Amino acid sequence: MWRVALRDLQWRRRRFVIAVLAASLVFGMTLLMTGFSTSLHNEGRRIVAALGADAWLVADGAPGPFTTSTPIPAADADRVAALPGVTRADPVVILHSTVRRPAVRDVNIIGARPGGLGTPPLAGGRAVAGAGEAVADTELGLRLGDRLELGGRRLEVVGLAERVTWYFGTPTLFLALEDAQAVAFGRQPLATAVLTRGVPGVPAPGLELVSNEQAVTDLERPLVRGTQSIDLISGLLWLVAAGIIGSIVYLSVLERLRELAVFKAVGASNRSLLAGLALQAVLLSATAAVLAVGIAELLAPVFPFSVEIPALAFPRLVVAAMLVGLAASAVGLRRAVAVQPALAFGGP
Amino acid sequence: MVDVEVRDLTITYASGGYVVRPVDRLNLRIASGELALLLGASGSGKTTLLSAMAAILRPASGSIRVGDTEVTGLRGPALTGYRRHRVGVVFQTFNLVPSLTALDNVQAPLWAAGMPARQARARAQALLDRVGLRERLGHRPGDLSGGQQQRVAIARALAHDPPLILADEPTAHLDYIQVEGVLRLLRDLAEPGRIVVVATHDERLLPLADRTVQLSPAAAGASRPPERLQLQPGQAVFRQGDRSELVYTVEEGEVEVVRERADGGLELLALLGPGRYFGELGPLFGLQRSATARAVGPAVVTGYAPRDFRELVGSGRVAETIRQASP
Repeated sequence: MWRVALRDLQWRRRRFVIAVLAASLVFGMTLLMTGFSTSLHNEGRRIVAALGADAWLVADGAPGPFTTSTPIPAADADRVAALPGVTRADPVVILHSTVRRPAVRDVNIIGARPGGLGTPPLAGGRAVAGAGEAVADTELGLRLGDRLELGGRRLEVVGLAERVTWYFGTPTLFLALEDAQAVAFGRQPLATAVLTRGVPGVPAPGLELVSNEQAVTDLERPLVRGTQSIDLISGLLWLVAAGIIGSIVYLSVLERLRELAVFKAVGASNRSLLAGLALQAVLLSATAAVLAVGIAELLAPVFPFSVEIPALAFPRLVVAAMLVGLAASAVGLRRAVAVQPALAFGGP
Repeated sequence: MVDVEVRDLTITYASGGYVVRPVDRLNLRIASGELALLLGASGSGKTTLLSAMAAILRPASGSIRVGDTEVTGLRGPALTGYRRHRVGVVFQTFNLVPSLTALDNVQAPLWAAGMPARQARARAQALLDRVGLRERLGHRPGDLSGGQQQRVAIARALAHDPPLILADEPTAHLDYIQVEGVLRLLRDLAEPGRIVVVATHDERLLPLADRTVQLSPAAAGASRPPERLQLQPGQAVFRQGDRSELVYTVEEGEVEVVRERADGGLELLALLGPGRYFGELGPLFGLQRSATARAVGPAVVTGYAPRDFRELVGSGRVAETIRQASP
């Protein structure tokens, strides 16, 4: 009976196309939501990896290097460097600030010792060699040699780094440690964390060891509500898509009650009729999902924040859409089962 | 040879909250090769009987035998097999699938039975050729005339070459030119090894039939002597769904008129004392009894043929009587 189902889709093609377009827009939105969520997660991992540390140390009791409000003496890095298992230790200052370009833009600041841990891989120019220099995220739109002012200090862009953002695509400026200390602590020799190469084998008094994974968690903590909201919206969008597909299948069943009754009266089994209806739901969902991939790819660059849709999300969407389509059509399928063949004998 | 034998068949169902018994203790035998006409007014049970013969409606009691098959006892795969291979139905208003072409509509029952596509196509083409629609294979129902749609419906009913063809009001939506072609086709189908049963209210089809079954009671029949009935308490004069013959007057005692509801309850419609009439509408219009009349205590009633009843009340008062009528 699958031929009958396909002919019916052809027959009602206008409605099918409208349903596919509506469902594909919704599926496209879910893909974009997945992309947002993935981006938030990825940029945390990327920035932590870019700093090149094996472990972090923060003030005892501090939640982590990105959200701490308890500075530690920068000199603690030398104490940590002497610990067993550590081959190098450097202090870093991590803070959030703004620059004028010409409008005010939020930036993340990481101050590190020139040549030490906390220096990102470069996409152009050179690393910071001393005070008054900066490596900027390409997202800021700065070029080598550009000058900018930060907290009253004039800086020259000497290097560029790519995809070193966090907090919804906020770009990062890498400075010399003393410039960051000047902005954050009024020139006091303080740091927010110590980065190490190698992992300390013994505890450092007054300091708390934080792994890279914990550092990522610390960075993502303020975003948890945001990502939860995104996931919730994503779930709601799936419901909307299911509603669209379910409604279309149910309407189709309602319109075809007499037809279904005739098929039953001539000996078509419930199973074969249900298979035909399920085929329609799956085709509708799968077509919408495939179209959604194109829609998501088309819309992703429009957003002012990198939308990283994982490659696996595409086949997952198609499979999930088909399953949702099937589940959504359950009400219609139940209605079809309930159709009595005697209805075929009814008058006009 | 396949004969159809209907024995003591009673069919009841719920309609509008009440119990309806359109077929009541019906007996019928149709021989192979015959075209039988089920004749009757709307609501007389024609379509209901066809539904039961098609194994779509289960009767309350009685049996329908098609050849060696006891239709009323069919379940599961045997029921599906009967519907697929032993009976073909030409539904009222054709009931073709609008999204399918004429060819696909005829193929559909073959697909449902799992016949290979090529074989199904060849069979459907041959059938449409037989009903004179070779040139219309690719047309959808909306592009066909009523007569052509009816012929597609007949071809569909013949898909599995069943020994029993049931046609429900096959001429109801056709003009006289189209009717001619469809009647000829139905007549030709009634050949040895096959029975055609046509349900219709159209008496013009009478010459077509080898056998006619009148399902409506004859309205306003001939005169006959009044029937005086002595009733015990609770004894029924007639029951809901019975064929109507007489109009009754209450001579002594009381008679209550009750209607049986689908939920098993009874609804009191009237309580009638001496001098009151009841049961007028059924015999006057050839309808079945729509309620039960029974004695409340010991009672005496007299039954009159409708013609005599008219004379009794005067023809001018019949309309007034109908307005005040009890079922």
